[in-house]
Amino acid sequence: MVNLFLTEVLKLKRSSMFLISILGAAVAPFVVVIATYLNEPSILFKELFYNVNLYTVLIIGVPLYGVVTTYLFNREYMENTLKNILTIPVSRIGFIVSKMLLLFIWIMMLTLIAWTLTLVLGMLTQFDGLSISLVMESLSQFSIGGMFLFILSTPIILVTLVMKNYVPTIIFTVVITLINVMGGNSEHRALFPWAAAGDIANNTLPLTYPPEYSYIAITATALAGFIAMIVYFNKTDIH
Amino acid sequence: MNTVIKTTNLSKIYGEQKSVDQLSITVNQGEIYGFLGRNGAGKTTTIRMLLGLIRPTYGQIEIFGENLFKNQKRILRRIGSIVEVPGFYENLTAKENLLINAKIIGVHKKNAIDEALEIVGLQNENKKLVGKYSLGMKQRLGIARALLHYPELLILDEPTNGLDPIGIKEMRRLIKSLAAERNITILISSHILSEIEQLADHMGIIHEGKLLEEIGIDHLRKRNRKYLEFQVSNDNKATMLLEEHFNIFDYEVYDEGMVRVYSHLGEQGTINRMFVQNDINVLKIKMSEDRLEDYFERLVGGGTIG
Repeated sequence: MVNLFLTEVLKLKRSSMFLISILGAAVAPFVVVIATYLNEPSILFKELFYNVNLYTVLIIGVPLYGVVTTYLFNREYMENTLKNILTIPVSRIGFIVSKMLLLFIWIMMLTLIAWTLTLVLGMLTQFDGLSISLVMESLSQFSIGGMFLFILSTPIILVTLVMKNYVPTIIFTVVITLINVMGGNSEHRALFPWAAAGDIANNTLPLTYPPEYSYIAITATALAGFIAMIVYFNKTDIH
Repeated sequence: MNTVIKTTNLSKIYGEQKSVDQLSITVNQGEIYGFLGRNGAGKTTTIRMLLGLIRPTYGQIEIFGENLFKNQKRILRRIGSIVEVPGFYENLTAKENLLINAKIIGVHKKNAIDEALEIVGLQNENKKLVGKYSLGMKQRLGIARALLHYPELLILDEPTNGLDPIGIKEMRRLIKSLAAERNITILISSHILSEIEQLADHMGIIHEGKLLEEIGIDHLRKRNRKYLEFQVSNDNKATMLLEEHFNIFDYEVYDEGMVRVYSHLGEQGTINRMFVQNDINVLKIKMSEDRLEDYFERLVGGGTIG
């Protein structure tokens, strides 16, 4: 498994997707910090972190991490390499798990980049209220957001494996983002897994339902996606 | 001779379409087995089933004497393969691409990658990104990748597809040398009859998913060579006379009274006269002009292959 994971890392060498994803992750911190600096310079650092995390998890994160997910899984179909990997042989579950491990590290790295940029840009633009506890709390909130988005990547992987194309996955993630935006003010948003992930990360879950409902929605979605993708990938013919 | 691949009633059905229909083939150790068929005949589907990429609807596959589906991992470790056009990570060099396979398989020999690249003549191109390789170079790199772990069996699906005539010749030479020098059993598919004829020891002809014939190339050549066919009253005496009078040993008695002579093709008149002078009744003389293409055409019932 270690070797399988290391080969996944090697496959990213000279990959432009790596740089593109970093640029994507930098969008929210740049836009939020610069816009806040220009329009509301009196805002506190805490709100800066909150806004960046909110935009990262609910708006940018789903399509950005969705593209990363699709790139990781779909390239084996696009570049015609899957049949080689599976006949080496590599177990189909081992293949999925090694890719998911890389996806987790990639998502957490992008999350960390977004957090670091917020911290650095916020310090450069001299927002008030920065403290060690805020740094730790915000890092924890960003990490929770990233982890939830990773957990919720299983339905996106399933769509990629079934459709073997970037377009359906992008449409799927755009639909999720749209629901996140439209349901932003809804009291029922805690039942929508991706919106619930944002609320849990930022401690803003509405009181309409017990928090367990949100955790159940996230777990059920992730688990259903995981089981479906394993069953599908194990049974499907590789053409 | 040990059997390396044995399929029994192997079938793959998609909806109403039988892509592979009750296919039973046998590939023996050390031979080059040509898998010949027109495009869409079911060659690639069969090869994908042999490599565990596609599950058969029914039927059995035994490789190295073991059931493929019960021991897939162990069996595949002993096989190198190219399925259609080999795919590579185009952002990586040839060496890096092979390193991926080497790491996963666990090839510990230090210079295994260099050695594999040298066999296919890519040792000087190993730092070039694969995205900049020509199709011919990619095919050769595919062979290098297939050889990396010293397989006992190579399964090559149309490895000369898309190559120019020089590339085809090089690939042919490479495949022949692998079989001869490394004693690797090779299954190679193609839709080009001449390709299989020049490479294989044995071949299976597939058409519309069904195996039409499995035959040794030598036997096929003999069967399809030009010959004079005599129907005579006494074949024993006739063959004795052929040997004594004409020094003809390249003949065959394939049925009672039926003698096929594979040499002296223009001398049917002289041979006939000699038979008659020795009290042999000659009932029929026929000159056969069968060629491999005619044979194939007759077999699959079509005009051209592919």
